[in-house]
Amino acid sequence: MNGLILAARREVMTRIRTRAFVIGLIFTSVLVGAVSFAPKVLDRPDTYTLGTLGTQRLPLRAAAPDATFEWRTFPNEAAARQAVLDGDVDAVLAGGTTVLTNGEIDDRLGVLLQSADREAKLAAAGVSIPPLRMESIGADAHDQTARTGLAVVLVVVLFMMLIGQAGMVAMGVVEEKSSRIVEILLATLRPWQLFGGKIVGLGAVGLINLVTNLAVGLAASTASGVAGDFPPGMPGLVAGVLVWFVLGYAFYATLAGAMASLVSRQEEVNSVLTPLIMVIMVSYFLAFYATNAPTGTLATVMSYVPPFSSIVMPVRTAATEVPLWQVVLSMVAMAAAVLAALAFGAKVYQRAVLRTGARVKLRDVVRVR
Amino acid sequence: MLEISELRKRFAGGPDAPDGKLALDGIGFAVRPGRMFGFVGANGAGKTTTMRIVMGVLQADSGSVSWQGRPLRHDDRRRFGYMPEERGLYQKMRVAEQIAYFGRLHGMSAAAARKATEDLMERLGVAERRNDPVQALSLGNQQRVQLAVALVHDPEVLVLDEPFSGLDPIAVDALATALQERCGSGVPVIFSSHQLELVERLCDSVGIVAAGRMVATGAVAELRSAAGDTLRVVVRDAAPGWPDGLPGAVTVSGDRHILRTTSGDDQEILRRALKAGRVEHFGVERPTLTEIFKEAVT
Ligand SMILES: Nc1ncnc2c1ncn2[C@@H]1O[C@H](COP(=O)(O)OP(=O)(O)OP(=O)(O)O)[C@@H](O)[C@H]1O
Ligand SMILES: [Mg+2]
Repeated sequence: MNGLILAARREVMTRIRTRAFVIGLIFTSVLVGAVSFAPKVLDRPDTYTLGTLGTQRLPLRAAAPDATFEWRTFPNEAAARQAVLDGDVDAVLAGGTTVLTNGEIDDRLGVLLQSADREAKLAAAGVSIPPLRMESIGADAHDQTARTGLAVVLVVVLFMMLIGQAGMVAMGVVEEKSSRIVEILLATLRPWQLFGGKIVGLGAVGLINLVTNLAVGLAASTASGVAGDFPPGMPGLVAGVLVWFVLGYAFYATLAGAMASLVSRQEEVNSVLTPLIMVIMVSYFLAFYATNAPTGTLATVMSYVPPFSSIVMPVRTAATEVPLWQVVLSMVAMAAAVLAALAFGAKVYQRAVLRTGARVKLRDVVRVR
Repeated sequence: MLEISELRKRFAGGPDAPDGKLALDGIGFAVRPGRMFGFVGANGAGKTTTMRIVMGVLQADSGSVSWQGRPLRHDDRRRFGYMPEERGLYQKMRVAEQIAYFGRLHGMSAAAARKATEDLMERLGVAERRNDPVQALSLGNQQRVQLAVALVHDPEVLVLDEPFSGLDPIAVDALATALQERCGSGVPVIFSSHQLELVERLCDSVGIVAAGRMVATGAVAELRSAAGDTLRVVVRDAAPGWPDGLPGAVTVSGDRHILRTTSGDDQEILRRALKAGRVEHFGVERPTLTEIFKEAVT
């Protein structure tokens, strides 16, 4: 165990000191921060510029408190028409009965004008109508947009982290194999210690990355106010994401490292990893699909099937309510898959890593002896 | 004592050699504590294969390696120092960190590893490169780091595959001194080399391998005397034909006749030589290791 920890620590220490790691971390943090502020910037309250002849105005503020209305007064109808055509104003209230626009009126503005006009006229006639009281009875009616946004960000982050860290394990294995340093390492360490140390070490680096990004994301969205739109149960969601990352990473990194131990040159790594990358890509697309239809059959089924579940399930939990027992069941299935991957990967690695030269055939390694 | 006995190893063959390649054909020898064992043999004789099997990075088909009377296990090997033929270091890791890392892998505490690293870097002349990544060093200096990695944990046994190749004379001396010191403190040392004068100078015993078998082992002096003494006589200004009837071979170089023989009555030869001309040299010579080696492997 001690050997595994030493190997893992070396991975962490050498990795976090590289410029690539520091720059990457800063870059993703800035990106996550920007994404957390984006909804507030893009989702600015509507602003309308309206023209009027004389002093007539409508009480629009009362009808739409979140929108801004700017009124301009024109001396005559010709000037007002010109302003409409030039696009200086969205609409002009011409007398008490007509609204001039350039093309069809903005839907919301049209409804607002109509209802404010009606209300004003009815009030003048002595009729007062109490406004309708709005009440949400759906659990997540309000934060559905926030949830979907969250799920999309999660898909991208998990995908990039999994593919990046698994790729790093693969490169590390080949680095040791091609530089022949495995020969002295394996005279002191057992293969599972060296391999396990690499997986644990680079996994820790991935977690440092993920936790930093999550922290930046949460802090930034609290600062920007977006956090207010988050669904209830964020702490559980975050904890779940971390567990899913660990499971998914353990699965993919083990297999990536084992496959990489078959080759002796960095240039061969890509070709030997292709099947695995395809699987990650499929998970990615399934998860993306799940952000749109989190309650659909495909998303539901795939959120139980390892290794796809490692991205699809966290995305489903972000996008909709998922009972805890379903999450736990899916985690257990994934954990079983991780154990199988570890058993298989360790065997392949142990048998292939000292065979330098031509690419070792998986068939030769797996064959029972 | 490290004992290697009856090792056999056949490498799987390719399409051109379906039977594979028999690399070791029952090789065996023993290295006593405090002895320096020189492992020599032609290219492809099986030295590296033997050492890899000793270090557990290759499995023998049959045969055994034992240490202190018990079969060698992984935990024993952790206390060995190994320098593989194909050098390997983390190219981007700094020199001092790398040596200390291997010290820790061999079970040293952080402080002990750091101290041993400092000492070794000083002795092997790489101290001023301590913070450079290995890839920035010249090949010979990388080799010194590789040696430091093999020596850092004060190993119980040293197995070094061609440790002297690529070193300059100063580094050769530094390494030779370091090895003699370890040897002096009771560590068995095995090293392979093609530099036979060096082997002759440093080693208590040598083993000559040919085609996966040990063809000669023993103390260098014993091997040399066992190979037989040669009588060499140099006679000046002698008439041609003087040694007719004597055993051995005569070569002529200028006005000198040189007779070499391993048999015959030396007194009779001396009398004949004195009669023939001026005897400049009359003496018994032992073959050098190089001569024994050539004899053994051909
Ligand atoms: N991985 C391998 N696959 C197939 N054959 C091998 C392999 N390794 C070594 N051999 C063969 O085994 C034989 C012994 O090789 P080995 O490397 O032990 O020789 P050596 O004595 O160390 O030679 P050198 O002085 O050149 O280093 C050689 O014929 C070599 O071709
Ligand atoms: Mg060799």
